[in-house]
Amino acid sequence: MASSTNVEDSAQSRTGGASPPSPAGLRPKRGRRRWHNGIGTVPFLVYLGLFLVIPAISVVVTAFQSGAGTFTLSNFNEAVHGVYLKSFINSIQLSFAAAIVATVVGVLASLAVCASSNRIVRALVSSGSAVFANTGGVPLAFSFIATVGNFGVITKLLTDAGFNPYDHGFSLYSVLGLTIVYQYFLIPLMVLIMIPPIEALRKEWVDASSSLGATRAQFWRWVGIPLLAPPILAAFIVLFTDAFAAYATAEALTSGTIALVPIQLGALISGNVLAGQTNLGDALGAGMIAIVLVAGFLYAYVQRKASKWLR
Amino acid sequence: MVAVTTNVGRDGKEPGAANVLKLGKAFRYGILGLVGIFFIIPILASARFSFLGNNNTITISAYTQLFSTPQFWSTLFLSVKIGLGTVLLTLALLIPTVVWIHLRVPKLKRVFESISLLPLVIPSVVVTLGVITSFKSLPNIIMGTPVILALEYVILALPYSYRTFDSAVQAIDLKTLVDAGQSLGAGWIKLLRFVVLPNLRSGLLGAAILAFAFCLGEFAVASLLSFTTFPVFLVQVGQVAASQAVALSLIALLFTWMPLAVIIIIFGQRNASSKKKTVSLATTIEQEETTGIA
Repeated sequence: MASSTNVEDSAQSRTGGASPPSPAGLRPKRGRRRWHNGIGTVPFLVYLGLFLVIPAISVVVTAFQSGAGTFTLSNFNEAVHGVYLKSFINSIQLSFAAAIVATVVGVLASLAVCASSNRIVRALVSSGSAVFANTGGVPLAFSFIATVGNFGVITKLLTDAGFNPYDHGFSLYSVLGLTIVYQYFLIPLMVLIMIPPIEALRKEWVDASSSLGATRAQFWRWVGIPLLAPPILAAFIVLFTDAFAAYATAEALTSGTIALVPIQLGALISGNVLAGQTNLGDALGAGMIAIVLVAGFLYAYVQRKASKWLR
Repeated sequence: MVAVTTNVGRDGKEPGAANVLKLGKAFRYGILGLVGIFFIIPILASARFSFLGNNNTITISAYTQLFSTPQFWSTLFLSVKIGLGTVLLTLALLIPTVVWIHLRVPKLKRVFESISLLPLVIPSVVVTLGVITSFKSLPNIIMGTPVILALEYVILALPYSYRTFDSAVQAIDLKTLVDAGQSLGAGWIKLLRFVVLPNLRSGLLGAAILAFAFCLGEFAVASLLSFTTFPVFLVQVGQVAASQAVALSLIALLFTWMPLAVIIIIFGQRNASSKKKTVSLATTIEQEETTGIA
């Protein structure tokens, strides 16, 4: 996330080292060696440029073009109206809610794990989170359909007990349902991110405050929360972007019935395009990149703040 | 901090180290138990759902029907092929690059680590759209075949594969190994073949498994580019036969979890044994900045 700024820096320093021809006779050897040093990374950077940077740039450029190739803002105008505006609002709400829930649960769970002295529990939770954080997509959607879908096992159990959740406003195929399903990969991700900073808390800082006689409330007020706030905020941003970009789970679960940005964009790509909307998809894509970038900059800012504070 | 020191000794209730962090046992196990239940229930429910026949009988027909569908095998085979292609490409790209960076330009280590996270900034749906708009004119052998999927999966799996391989290289003393090899007269090919790669086996395996698992589960790009890979087939099944789709999901989940669990255990042990005793919060946050995302 913090990468984008670094990337530019590095690109500058690299070309800075390579391109300006050094004054004749002055340190030619060093310049050549520097140039040689960079050459091994070229295939990697070319590959990345070809298959990631060019597609991304083409989306942004096309977003500003009309069907005839002239400059226009009408794609964006369309992207912030009607169903597309709704999809941006839905997506942001969904990602925000899902990330908040996962942050709270994840922090509590990480605290519980770190406070536990049981080695097996700790090993189980940390490797379990690493595995589950990589879960997602279609299989996840179907296993939740089997659980709390219309005919899911739990739905059936509850209905037999006289409480059908679908009669009381619950639906798996809604924003609420997606929020719940997303927890399955967001909570483990949160635990994975939060365990290291909380572990670090245990050591010197906790010892110091304990030996100085701080109570638990004092510890959290003056040490724990100020120290953990930046990593928690940074982790929240990571979760938000993760949820925002998720496509497979939402598509498999709702088959496009809820307006979300990735789903709308997917529909435009698969050819459900109305006349005169040729480059609308690119505008949606550019909008998604913009939102993720804003989140990324926030993340970089929080991280820098955190590391400055700690120095 | 200042406030803590001014309040010294007012409360003697919790003497001794680490006590301020102690949470009640009930609270601890309550939280972990609830979260654990949330994670186990969908799996158990899926298993039950997939074995459920008419009138609450137990049946394995969902599985037998699935295995006798030719498309099950053909899409699985396609995904495996794409996965292998992706793994080969990933390794061909990662091995020289990462080894080079560590030997020749170690200053750029962090920079390239950040670059490898770039694919996380651009949602895969957007990448797909970009691929369609910018590669329209590419020859059909690339755009019209799953080759394009493998080419893109290398990128999309990069945040995971790069980190894994990079930390494996970090863990060995590459420079000394290479110097020793060179002083014995080995050329670059020999060095890679007999010195560097054997020392990086676990890193290579980790990167390969992560990339492969990614390919087996990827849905967005494949479906939007109209290739019927395994996950796309899964969604198609889901529209006609729910219990088969759930059975298939269960298989897919277990099959991605197992290799992941294996590498996490391998790497977890290695990290645990090499972990330094004193970890400052600052360095942990730096680590977290990168590991967290992966």
